[in-house]
Amino acid sequence: MSGNRPIKFRILELLLDGKEHWNYEIVSRIQKEYDMQGNYNRDSINFDIIELASGGMLKDVEQKVDEAGIYKKGFLLHKYVITDFGKARSSDACLRFV
Amino acid sequence: MDLKALKKQESKRKISKGYMWALFCAVFWGIWYLPGTVVWVLNPFDEMYGAIAEAGGDGTALIITAVLITAFNALTVMLALMLWNGVLGKFGELVRTMKEFHPCSKWFFLASIFGGPMAILGSFIAMGFIGGAFAAVAALLYPVVGSILAYYWYGEKISKRAAIGIGVIIVGGITIFGGGLLTELSSGSVQWIGYLGGLMAAAGWGIEGAIAGKGLDISEPDVGLTLRFVGENIIWWIIIVPILALVGYPMYSFALQAFEPLTLLVLIFAGITFGFCYVCWYKSFPLIGVGRGQGIGNLYGLFAIIFIFLFFGDVPDWTILVGGALCMIGSFVMFTEDTSELETLRGD
Repeated sequence: MSGNRPIKFRILELLLDGKEHWNYEIVSRIQKEYDMQGNYNRDSINFDIIELASGGMLKDVEQKVDEAGIYKKGFLLHKYVITDFGKARSSDACLRFV
Repeated sequence: MDLKALKKQESKRKISKGYMWALFCAVFWGIWYLPGTVVWVLNPFDEMYGAIAEAGGDGTALIITAVLITAFNALTVMLALMLWNGVLGKFGELVRTMKEFHPCSKWFFLASIFGGPMAILGSFIAMGFIGGAFAAVAALLYPVVGSILAYYWYGEKISKRAAIGIGVIIVGGITIFGGGLLTELSSGSVQWIGYLGGLMAAAGWGIEGAIAGKGLDISEPDVGLTLRFVGENIIWWIIIVPILALVGYPMYSFALQAFEPLTLLVLIFAGITFGFCYVCWYKSFPLIGVGRGQGIGNLYGLFAIIFIFLFFGDVPDWTILVGGALCMIGSFVMFTEDTSELETLRGD
């Protein structure tokens, strides 16, 4: 299955459930949906999440060290939740609450 | 390494990356004034200027020629960016983003109106009338417009320290700008249309940055920026150039003559430097904010003066040196900001 909306739209859509999500969960889901395999695409999608967070649309609520190497060994894993501003921007972008 | 140290390291990396992009933007932007100044004396633009000046006067000739130069600049920038997106494998995302006109890509097209016919055209007018160094420093005031708009429009935080840094940079810009103006005022012949071009550049780029931020929130910078130049090409090649041709200016006959090796080379050089200056500019915004991205990007004024000195041998006035030094100090104030303040740029 290949996604048909811009990747950042889809990331916001996934987080619109209001629950907390780990970055590696979102990244691997987007990789599957948009058929974007490989480390380059993985980092590129993760950078989209970082940009959304620094734009104030997502909030970084929890971090842990990736000891087991589920994403990138020795790096930080982040858990995100959508902010009110993120919800407002998502509705501007015609995304709906699920 | 423990969690806290890793977190700090990661945040630091993100912010220094943002500043790095902004600095690269400044270097490319500064270099752009070299081809931008040289292109005026190359054919067909030189001949075009002469031909139109004979019939309609210098002022009209300069603006019409500036339109054609800006249109070619937009074209080569777009080609450079298409290549860039190809390398990054982002054509799919480009199409997906373009389709989202209402929520997203309309902001890039709106930004292109202020970036193209206002800022870039104004810059070329300033370069043609007064010179590259002036054109470069005249636009230094754009972060005032950008930061104030970003603050009122979408509540982007500007810390006290960032505000001081931006303030110092602006004082530097005014010193450089005011120096040339005062000399010309005392000699009695002020090239007002050139100064107007400088103001168009400052206001246009400030507004462009703030508008583009709206679309950048929810898209990828490489893609957003390409769309912004697709918009500018539509404005020039589908709207303005045909209208000017209909009115009777020889746009197409001179446009076709642009395919000379040296002219093409200079135009491609302009496209590459300007295209990548934008890539870096847009990439810095989500990491360090529009105000800071523009503030550091402002060092282009100094780089432009250095490059113009190195390549054309133009020795700058003392006001330019003092102003340039102030720009460096202002940027340094912003550089050394306590990074913890930057973790979230906007209020919830």
